[in-house]
Amino acid sequence: MTAKENEIIEHLQQELGPGLVDATIPCERRVSIKIKSVVLSKAVNALKKRYSALRFITISTVDNGLDFEFLHHFDVDGAVITLRSLKPKEDNTLESIVDLIPAANFIEREIADLFGVKILNHPQLQHLILTKDWPDDKRPLREPLEGEIPPQTRPVAEALISTSCVAPVSKFMQRRREKAGLPSAPPFAFTDEKTLQEFHRMIRDTGLDKKAGFDWEKKRLRYK
Amino acid sequence: MRGDGWEMIRYASFLGCQIPMRYPCIEIASKKVFEEIGLEAVDLPGYSCCPEPVNSRILDKTASLTISARNLTIAEELGLDLMTLCNGCYETLVEANEILKHDSKEMQKVNSILKQFGKRYRGIIKVKHVVEVLYEDIGIKRLEKQIVKPQKFSVALHYGCHLYRELEGGDIMRKTKMMKELTQLTGVEIVDYGLEQLCCGYPSMQADEEFSLKNRLLPKLKRIEEAGADAVVLSCPACMIQFEMGQTMLRKFGYNYKIPCIHLMELLALSLGVPPRELHLVFHRIPPLRLALMTESM
Repeated sequence: MTAKENEIIEHLQQELGPGLVDATIPCERRVSIKIKSVVLSKAVNALKKRYSALRFITISTVDNGLDFEFLHHFDVDGAVITLRSLKPKEDNTLESIVDLIPAANFIEREIADLFGVKILNHPQLQHLILTKDWPDDKRPLREPLEGEIPPQTRPVAEALISTSCVAPVSKFMQRRREKAGLPSAPPFAFTDEKTLQEFHRMIRDTGLDKKAGFDWEKKRLRYK
Repeated sequence: MRGDGWEMIRYASFLGCQIPMRYPCIEIASKKVFEEIGLEAVDLPGYSCCPEPVNSRILDKTASLTISARNLTIAEELGLDLMTLCNGCYETLVEANEILKHDSKEMQKVNSILKQFGKRYRGIIKVKHVVEVLYEDIGIKRLEKQIVKPQKFSVALHYGCHLYRELEGGDIMRKTKMMKELTQLTGVEIVDYGLEQLCCGYPSMQADEEFSLKNRLLPKLKRIEEAGADAVVLSCPACMIQFEMGQTMLRKFGYNYKIPCIHLMELLALSLGVPPRELHLVFHRIPPLRLALMTESM
């Protein structure tokens, strides 16, 4: 009974290449496909072209604090296909699929209303549920941009990930240490660029940076 | 073997984060003590935070274990057991070592990450607190012979919660007894105040500052003062931060305490004859220098 499900996965793998991140069949007649958000339209188009019986069901949106997860659900002859894509909340956009699937019009407007997500290339982006004068910064289902780390311990987590040490030796303390006859810092990972890079790669490999919501460019958490 | 017939003992030394940053005086005192007693403390090149348990353990167990395993692996590569000067680092590293030694799946996960950096955790070393090293490897008798300047003040002991941590079935008072005996060696008078086992409040500072100060630190300070102790002896830099900063912070609630705090290694250094000025005790918020000089002048 999984022949069709496998066939759907294989087809999308061929069409999306590395744009397909992961594919599973959690149970009979269910296919869950994780995709990169940039290939969303391509994935929908690939399904539409291949399966004439493709039926759009709906789009679910999950606000997980740091990111939005968009789940585009389709039906092909009784098998439910879910395209799952993740977008950082700082980006705050979702590409419209209305040009491919006109029936997505209302649900995309609903997502825009309830989560404050900007729907790109939507033909008619007006409020659907909320009143016209509804304030932009107060969306009923939108959570604040926050990760799992409680506010009080955020500086500690930032320091650990960025420097390998929860209390990095400041310039002031380095001078005091030297004055007291000690090296400016003990042989921490952060005292050697190559070792610090190794530490950072290890943090990435464990996924701790993602769970904490660490921004490597800014070298701090994505939330205050 | 040293000239005095005693065997030189070698350990990989894990300084952690707080000692180098907040209390280099503990680092200095430890070096002096190790030199005096014949313990070679080898630096851990490229070490990181143990890691601190609050964030990393809650967020991801495997990530936390991997960071610990990386540190343990550096000691394994040196072929040395690991010694910590901090109760928190002790608990994190002992637990990680124990979990990884007995959980082959976790060990496999951790090693699959470490492999990319040419490292492999093997589970071949022990992790010890400096209190255990001094008590078990050096020994009270050997230390006693080296005490040349017994200290002449009275102290209250704060062991720190993580010093009670033991492997399953172990005696949780084992290391606290060691710490008490080591403190007694230094000549100070130990005064009991009845709240030795109460947490200093350091972990709860992040959640509720007022609770931490008033319900944890304050009762201890009151009893310590009533017991007539000149200072508090600690074995953990985090507890030291809480005792020193906490006394300052309690002023805003109308409590004015100024009890000096001293790390066990600083106290030992003084009693081994290290001149107080060489210990740079000014790194403390409430420097215990006055007490050290009190003994000097006697």
